[in-house]
Amino acid sequence: MKTLFAAVCLWLAMVFPAAAHRLDEYLQATRLAIDIARVDVEIDLTPGVSVASKVFGWIDTNRDGEISRAEGEAYAHAMLRSAVLKADGSTMPLKFEECSFPTFQEMSAGVGTIRLRARAAISAAAPGRHQISFLNMHRPEWSVYLVNVLVPENHRLQFGEQRRDVAQHGLILDYTVTGDGPEDRTLALYLGLGMAGCLLLRLGISRREKAKQPV
Amino acid sequence: MNRREWIIFLALAASPAPSVKGNVTANVVGAANAFLATLSPAEQAKCTFGFTSSQRTGWSNLPTGIFKRNGLRFGDLKPPQREAALKLVAAALSREGYQKVTDIMNGDEVLKNAGGGRTGGRPSQGIRFGLDEYYIALLGTPSASTPWMIQFGGHHLAINVTIAGASSVMTPSLPAAQPAKYILNGQTVRPLGRENDKGFALINALNAAQLKKAVLNYEVKDLVLGPGNDGKVIQPEGILASELDASQQAMLLDIAHEWVGILNDEAANAKMAEIKANLPQTYFAWSGATKNGGLAYYRIQGPTLIIEYAPQSGDVDHIHTIYRDPTNDYGAKLVTK
Repeated sequence: MKTLFAAVCLWLAMVFPAAAHRLDEYLQATRLAIDIARVDVEIDLTPGVSVASKVFGWIDTNRDGEISRAEGEAYAHAMLRSAVLKADGSTMPLKFEECSFPTFQEMSAGVGTIRLRARAAISAAAPGRHQISFLNMHRPEWSVYLVNVLVPENHRLQFGEQRRDVAQHGLILDYTVTGDGPEDRTLALYLGLGMAGCLLLRLGISRREKAKQPV
Repeated sequence: MNRREWIIFLALAASPAPSVKGNVTANVVGAANAFLATLSPAEQAKCTFGFTSSQRTGWSNLPTGIFKRNGLRFGDLKPPQREAALKLVAAALSREGYQKVTDIMNGDEVLKNAGGGRTGGRPSQGIRFGLDEYYIALLGTPSASTPWMIQFGGHHLAINVTIAGASSVMTPSLPAAQPAKYILNGQTVRPLGRENDKGFALINALNAAQLKKAVLNYEVKDLVLGPGNDGKVIQPEGILASELDASQQAMLLDIAHEWVGILNDEAANAKMAEIKANLPQTYFAWSGATKNGGLAYYRIQGPTLIIEYAPQSGDVDHIHTIYRDPTNDYGAKLVTK
């Protein structure tokens, strides 16, 4: 009976390997929130079970078993140096905003996520067609990638086609900025002032003409 | 209760009678009060939270030891308490929905007994899952008029039901499965089998031009909007449902119903009507194999719906899914009415 039980356990272990969570991949999920003059970048990094020690080792450089703020930020900056964001073909520096790190226990279970936030200032986009591209080449040897753009909150942005490579290292997004931009507002202001001037002029002329009329 | 009794109990307990229209909320409130009546004051305090407390977003699909759940742990409840808790869950869900939840929970117990999920063989890390590791919490006071919420979940399952008057919503929720197929009492169980098969059926019903639009030319290896991504809406991709014929649209709605229909029939019917009305603005995107049995991800995204189906780590036997309504997660629309 014991032999049968052991055989069943062995069979079950073979059928259902110890794999509740990500194993040998480093999941790097990026979301881009695009606005007229900036791009907010959210990057969530989740090492799988068998790469967790390695990833933790990259960050915990003094090997004390904990990730200090300085170690975390140093890793975040290094990660951001592996990513390139371009607006209309020009590289825009990614400014580190904040990051948070899981414990080693969470990481070693394949469920600890490093959350990294950055921002790139881009030139205020004039009405017309534009393009944002993002490329993440951080630790490609073990990584799997997701990259998405969030639906724009600014109604002046209309997103077009998204293009990615098969592994989602990168994304290129074509988008259009419609009117009501700074230039349009200036133009509207000039037009408004011009019309007001015309009205005042016309009012002045008609008063003068009335004054000339015989009583 | 031993393991076998637990599983049989789950299979038999709380099979809800079809609800009479308008009676769902009353039934759920009654079941909630009956459950609370089985608890001691200390247990009640542990189980109940303010409706707007941070507990609302404090859910996960991860096992105990990695994610700290609040509420009452099933393993700590006495049999009548567990039965009352499951009756409450069943009252809020449809018959099929409760069966799906049961199949997911039983699958988790099977995984535990098989020694799986111990993340590389490190049980000492205190990672626990299985039937005893499901938790239940109530947010707000069970009421037929003011909003409240039932939160139920454990490893590979997170069900969030917000009830406001006669309405109820089940977004966000995360039904998952590992193993995706197992044998229990001589029967093959596939907790998310219909989600898989109906997805493959639809992708294979598309013509070449439709496939070109629906199939993404890149790999998607996980959920994009999993736990912790409340309120985020990604730019939709894939083929618009308006470019599908009537039969394909019906197939798409049928897939969506696998998630929507976990909730009680009355609420699910209302939600399906909304999804149908939004169908022209709804996208279907696919990535991966198109032959059933292969590794494939899909997403259905409309103005009031996001569904993702994502095999994990290249394993068709380990599926995560997410069901969201970006306009009405946690009943946001019901609460502001």
